[in-house]
Amino acid sequence: MSRELVLAVAIGYLLALFAIAFVVERSNKLGKLTGSSLVYTLSLAVYCSSWTFNGGVGRAAQNGFDFLPIYLGPTLAFILGPILIRRMLRISKANNITSIADLIGARFGRSAGVAALVTVIAVVGLIPYIALQLKSIAQGFAVLTLTSPDPAHQPLIFDGALWAAAILTIFAMLFGSRSIHPGEHHPGMVVAIAAESILKLLSLTIIGLFVVYGLFHGFGDLFGKAAANPEVAQLFAYSPERYGFSWIAMTFLAMVAAFCLPRQFQVMVVENVDERHLDRAIWQFPLYLLLINLFVLPIAVAGRLLLPGNANPDNLVLALPLIGNQPLLALIAFLGGVSAAASMVVVETTALSIMVCNDVVMPALLRVKSLGLAQRSDLTRLLLWVRRGVMIIVMALGYLYMRHDSAQVALVSIGLMSFVAVAQFAPALVGGLFWRGATKAGAIAGISAGFLVWVYTLLLPSFTQPPIIANFVAVGPFGIDLLRPYALFGLTGLDPVTHATFWSLLANFGALLGVSMLGRQRAVERAQAALFVDADNSGEAAQIWRRTALIPDLHALATRFLGRDRTDAAFASWAGDRGLDPATAVQADAETVLFYERLLASVIGAASARVLVGAIVEEEPLGVDEVMRILDETQRVLEANRNLEEKSLALQAATAELQEANTRLKELDRLKDDFVATVNHELRTPLASIRAFSEILRDHPQLGDSERLEFLAIVIAESERLTRLIGQLLHLSKIEATGTMPVRSELVDLTAVVRESSAAMRQVFAGANVALDIDIAPGSAQVIGDHDRLVQVLINLLGNAVKFSPRGAGRATLSLRSAGGEIELAVADNGPGIRASDRDAVFDRFRQLGDAMGDKPEGVGLGLAISQRIVAQHGGRIWIEDNEGGGAVFKIRLGAAPIAAQ
Amino acid sequence: MLRRAARRDRLIGLFILAVLLFNPPILNLFGGFVFGWPALYIYLFVAWAVIIAGVAFVVERNAPATDERGNRVP
Repeated sequence: MSRELVLAVAIGYLLALFAIAFVVERSNKLGKLTGSSLVYTLSLAVYCSSWTFNGGVGRAAQNGFDFLPIYLGPTLAFILGPILIRRMLRISKANNITSIADLIGARFGRSAGVAALVTVIAVVGLIPYIALQLKSIAQGFAVLTLTSPDPAHQPLIFDGALWAAAILTIFAMLFGSRSIHPGEHHPGMVVAIAAESILKLLSLTIIGLFVVYGLFHGFGDLFGKAAANPEVAQLFAYSPERYGFSWIAMTFLAMVAAFCLPRQFQVMVVENVDERHLDRAIWQFPLYLLLINLFVLPIAVAGRLLLPGNANPDNLVLALPLIGNQPLLALIAFLGGVSAAASMVVVETTALSIMVCNDVVMPALLRVKSLGLAQRSDLTRLLLWVRRGVMIIVMALGYLYMRHDSAQVALVSIGLMSFVAVAQFAPALVGGLFWRGATKAGAIAGISAGFLVWVYTLLLPSFTQPPIIANFVAVGPFGIDLLRPYALFGLTGLDPVTHATFWSLLANFGALLGVSMLGRQRAVERAQAALFVDADNSGEAAQIWRRTALIPDLHALATRFLGRDRTDAAFASWAGDRGLDPATAVQADAETVLFYERLLASVIGAASARVLVGAIVEEEPLGVDEVMRILDETQRVLEANRNLEEKSLALQAATAELQEANTRLKELDRLKDDFVATVNHELRTPLASIRAFSEILRDHPQLGDSERLEFLAIVIAESERLTRLIGQLLHLSKIEATGTMPVRSELVDLTAVVRESSAAMRQVFAGANVALDIDIAPGSAQVIGDHDRLVQVLINLLGNAVKFSPRGAGRATLSLRSAGGEIELAVADNGPGIRASDRDAVFDRFRQLGDAMGDKPEGVGLGLAISQRIVAQHGGRIWIEDNEGGGAVFKIRLGAAPIAAQ
Repeated sequence: MLRRAARRDRLIGLFILAVLLFNPPILNLFGGFVFGWPALYIYLFVAWAVIIAGVAFVVERNAPATDERGNRVP
């Protein structure tokens, strides 16, 4: 194919992408595309750069499955998405974070130093990665146009990599730095990347299908031939030690890279518009990675089988369609590779330019007073040009690095080098998010130590040009064997990447932990640490510092970076939320200052914003008075909370009482029904008997006198029983109707009550031949109450006692004694006793235990019910116990009358 | 809150399982060819798919119903 055609197709493709981005940013309807979780997921696939597209296949052709850890790692990271990534998202949203450098800087006291350090490492670490993309495009271009990729063989104007670098720089500027958006959202770029992700996947799948079904007869045929070829079959041979530390290190690096790479952070955190998209992405993104890798191994195997051994393995994806005489497919493969490279370069340079601009250049420029930047009226153009400049520099460095040692290092190895560099952010980032004790000094020490080890063990040895470096790799500096970069301290047997991963992260973690534990945190650091670690229930940090300023000053400052309209709108909405009047508010409180700082941070980063706001804000730590006032307020809030709690408890208690009353009412209702039925029965029985005997007397005049007298006696007895029953019923209903019936409250001497009732019953006892003992303990026994009622109770109990005592051998005791503040009356008998289960029931109306025994005792069954109510009216209680010698004891306790009343 | 904690615990469990399945020494148990296909190829992709399905199951089952724009579906 001709150079011009390939170049035109590639540029045409990129222009189409830019058109998509342009339309998305202009159109309201398409602009909402970023609100879809699918677009979010596809934009995350910017992870798959040309390294996936060409390098993965190359690695698979040489080493078998070694390419996979790079995709298994992000899968692992995303499983933990709801824990780790969500926290990054929340904190970044709350603080208007614009890059990973910003996030780490903000965590460690909004420190410009930490942010700048992270930025420098990111730039240095990622230049090889960008070089890799250029190299890959240049190689693809060379394969397609059948030219040599080495510029030594042709004029510079035909150098594919240079063209690629220039075109991609222009596109990066168009996508990433066209205008300043608050929050650094680039919806057009995100949608374009999502489109590219679809194309990458389609392109690799089409090539895969063509290879498997076009060049071979399906998977069976392909793998069958692979098994037959001893050299290829050796890739799959069983060996218990085939994959070791290198596999684990790569999985770990990729896992960390999934959130530490600036471009991943950009699409995952900064461009995220809805936190819920993450829930989808945590399984859809790994699914995308799985799909795009399905055909990598088959393509690699086919390449090994069909291409000569000396072919560059990184070009297999392009070379195979050419072998099959399918130039169109080769072009599709080329476009897939360009897609992968372009999206990576555009997002990475955008992210890097934001970092460099916000965390290095602007803070530095703002500090130089002589430039007078803080007084300039419009700084948005300056910001844009700084970013464009950074993009050009980054791309130029990438190109130079690539030219410096092209050819000898495979794509994957270069990429892994960058992974180790960005992995240095992980300890400070993860530690900062989950460990309150991580300090700024610890973070700086950790990141620097890790980075220096990376430079020494990975970056320096990658330059093979000056012989002095090659020499130093081979024998160590000054011939010190222990310091050889690839075998530091004599650690051998690991490949350079695994070796560097181990030493750099060891140094990094060690320094972070050691320095953090030994050092102390400043107040602002502690505040930020608390805010980050407790992100899930964060309050505001504003109260740690008392900062005051004039709103017009702050507003003017923000206007310079965001433009008047955006600043006015943002402040109006915020003032509305706070109930401030934008027209009259002049004095800014701490919250307002924080608002402006965050607004600025959304454009120029936290570190720069802090420098700027700090210049016009009076800042001092809170004095004791202020702290006391805050504590006081907290105290009041707590108090109010406690009151509320108490009220709700009271309410709960009232509800419970009501419920209880309700059940009691229901129970009473049921009892009333029983009562009516029983009364009905009890009244009818004597009435029926009276009627029956009266009828006999009327109808049988011939009855003898003795019989007639007997029947009359029964009629009289039944009438008396009826009278008694009615009297007691009236009595009971009176007690029940009045509840706490007006007991006559007079001073009652219980001794007299006992004597009176026992005298009344003496005759009955004598008649039944039951002995009655009276046992009155000495001392006063006075209660407040109704003398006659109490006599009635005792007579009732004595009547029961005589009823149940055995004739002849019966013995009952009526005793009186004082028990503490109460006076106890007890009536004991030596009858059959009462079962424990029946002891409550005997106090029910009409309950007669005699029923069960067959002979119906005399009495109507109301006596105990009435007695219980009378005792209750006196504020006392009545219950039954076992008598020691068999039988039952009825006990009554009444409160003793107060001494004064006696 | 309880449900959220349970989901977190399940994801941590899946993470540990995935770390074990995706790494040596377990993956070194697979080698050679099974039914003419490379055993490790089949193993890695099946294990990967199973883990992804597990994650999808855990997060989608408890997720509130939302439409494409993220509005809650009544």
